[in-house]
Amino acid sequence: MLHRLLFCLTILSLPAIAWAQSPLDELTEADLAAGEKIFKVHCGRCHGIAGQGGEGSNLVRSKLKYATDDQALIDLLGEGIPGTGMPAIWTLDEQKRTQVAGYVRTLGQLEAQEMPGNPSRGKDIYQRSAGCPACHIIAGHGIGIGPELTYIGDQRGLAYLRQSLTDPAATQSQTSGYQDYLTVRVKSLQTEVEGLRVNEDAFTVQVRDVSGTIHSFRKDELTQYEKVFAHSLMPEYGTALSDEDMDDLISYMMSLRSEQ
Amino acid sequence: MKRIIFLLLAGLATTGYAEVGFKRLVNAAEEPQNWLTYSGSYRSERYSPLSQINRDNVADLKVIWAYQMQPPTIGGAGLVETTPLVVDGTMYITEPPSTVTALDARSGKSLWSWSPEMDEETLHIGFPQVNRGVAVLDDAVYVGTLDAHLVALDAATGAIRWDIAVADNKSGFSLTLAPLALEGKIIIGVSGAEAGVRGFIDAYDSATGERLWRMYTIPAPGEPGSETWQGDSWQTGGGSTWLTGSYDPELDLLYWTIGNPAPDWNGDVRPGDNLYSCSIVALDPATGEMKWYFQFTPHDTHDWDANQIPILFDAEFNGKDRKIVALANRNAFFYLLDRETGEFLHGNQYSKQTWAAGLDEAGRPIVLPGTDPTYDGNLVWPSLQGATNWFSPSYNPETGQFFVATRLMGAVYYKADVEYEEGQPFLGGGEQALSGDDAAGAIRALDVMTGRQQWEFMLHSPPWAGVMATAGGLVIGGSNEGNVFALDAETGNPLWDFQTGGAVRTNPMSFAVDGKQRIVSTGGGTMFVFGLE
Repeated sequence: MLHRLLFCLTILSLPAIAWAQSPLDELTEADLAAGEKIFKVHCGRCHGIAGQGGEGSNLVRSKLKYATDDQALIDLLGEGIPGTGMPAIWTLDEQKRTQVAGYVRTLGQLEAQEMPGNPSRGKDIYQRSAGCPACHIIAGHGIGIGPELTYIGDQRGLAYLRQSLTDPAATQSQTSGYQDYLTVRVKSLQTEVEGLRVNEDAFTVQVRDVSGTIHSFRKDELTQYEKVFAHSLMPEYGTALSDEDMDDLISYMMSLRSEQ
Repeated sequence: MKRIIFLLLAGLATTGYAEVGFKRLVNAAEEPQNWLTYSGSYRSERYSPLSQINRDNVADLKVIWAYQMQPPTIGGAGLVETTPLVVDGTMYITEPPSTVTALDARSGKSLWSWSPEMDEETLHIGFPQVNRGVAVLDDAVYVGTLDAHLVALDAATGAIRWDIAVADNKSGFSLTLAPLALEGKIIIGVSGAEAGVRGFIDAYDSATGERLWRMYTIPAPGEPGSETWQGDSWQTGGGSTWLTGSYDPELDLLYWTIGNPAPDWNGDVRPGDNLYSCSIVALDPATGEMKWYFQFTPHDTHDWDANQIPILFDAEFNGKDRKIVALANRNAFFYLLDRETGEFLHGNQYSKQTWAAGLDEAGRPIVLPGTDPTYDGNLVWPSLQGATNWFSPSYNPETGQFFVATRLMGAVYYKADVEYEEGQPFLGGGEQALSGDDAAGAIRALDVMTGRQQWEFMLHSPPWAGVMATAGGLVIGGSNEGNVFALDAETGNPLWDFQTGGAVRTNPMSFAVDGKQRIVSTGGGTMFVFGLE
């Protein structure tokens, strides 16, 4: 039934884009079903089984930042997005990528997830009681130690946002397999720093401390270099906020989207 | 003697191109200021006898010149994987996808450049747009192209001599390797197993481009080895030959390595050992006749091509003088074979693997059950890119050390159903690699006779760059994170490093001009030439 609904939605959307001769125009209901199956195997782990976002972006939206048209979406599946966690899925041929792209576009026709609380109250909690701007930037305001949240509603779904507040260590994202915002403890003869790994190679490491200051080390100068996996510098808010405040805060973050 | 070489160099650099006859290639060790073949010698040691740059002064190494590659691409950027050749002051490189450029090795200034006209739709299924370098012979330069042509160029001007289609790119054939020049002939191999081609090794007349022989790596029904295939599976059986081989002028034997069977990850459709996939073969270069073969990974289901560099050396083994070929395989085992007979002499694991209990007395892997790809996924070390890959190992004949850039990475392997369609991926599955913080790389030094590890130098990620040992007691390498570095060959301690700003995906080489030693590496699309002054 879901398939049929999705198919109908796609058909309804076709007249609007038919002039562009989208490569998705020819897809059948069976193609979309095949695309859904492939999506769940290859994409669901990061984007959520229903595409609502997880470690990867929320795809339940009509515009995708890196896929300005349907061909770009098909190409992106084969080439990945450099500098992000999105890999090239080169084992899928053009037909399968087109099927997946077709399925992803149907996600954009679905209604966005319902907010669990009041986003305007949540904004107040974000800025005052929870103290989030001490480590996060929204629309240029705040300090950039953790991830920027200006469009976090596009990028992450409800369940992920809730877990990132209650158990932040469990929701740390990866880029090309490297844990983002990895906590490291570094000691040299002159200094000792705990902070976030910004970059690293065989000879050097760059660390941002909780004040936002960048420290650069040569590894042969270090007496200790510890990577602390499954750990986050972000506090756990599960007990610090009431259930209602938590719902409102999550709702505020869900409202932070590039399109309203 | 040094002064004589210097005078000769100075003269040649101003009077034009000196021919590189077959004898010069055989005796390449006598002219260490040049780098005449892909791996530096027919023995493929990738060893520089130059010692002007050494462990005492390498800390002062600096950039002498750099060359930024800006080649035409066919719908996307290629990756730089070239090993330059240097002949008497002129350097020959390739730029992706298939451009040949001659540079003044003293200054880095371009002398000529040649690019083929290629279709926007040129296929390269299963690999990026790359080229690993040229061959020189007599007064010509030879290059293989992404659209599967072999081209001869005039070495002095870049003017085209001949251009022949080796195979049809529409079926998935490409040439990415540096050809190997022998006496009067050019040897090449092909890429394309990920498109289900039937691989081969070819020899061409260096003067005319006429094909002299072709040796198919997958036997047809009735031929020896055909019993290891069933039905028509041999027709799409893969067995690419995409890496330059080695040559023994005394035995007059050519050694070439062969890649995975196709489809890669679904072995159900090709029961049997699938000869001569994942093997090394010894060929008579006059006829292409196979003298012996050794298969490293029978019935491979992990894409562990045996396309690694076979290094030739001579040594006493168990009380008997042997002519040996050494190879660190993508499947995580290190092998010594008698290169006269193909007899298995020794093998040991040199990197993490979880698929075999070891090798039996004949060198055949004792495969652990449950290590094939499955529909639900199966975690196995190494990843499909292997414990090492195309990038070169190095052998120091003075110390008997074998150096190999090693990839420490596992992967979840998947099997899928697949049907062959010409010019399309023919894979039968895929992998999800344990990348990032779950993976690492290492430069490892092995005792060549035992395969025992002497030291390792850890890298942040599994490398895509080879190594070169030098008589200066150094091992030069590179990293994905942009580091070019020199290690102490005795200890593995880092002595010098330089951040290039782009991933290093090449094999280092060394040459001398004006009596000054140079070391060459790359970062991203830029080639760097290092020296002391």
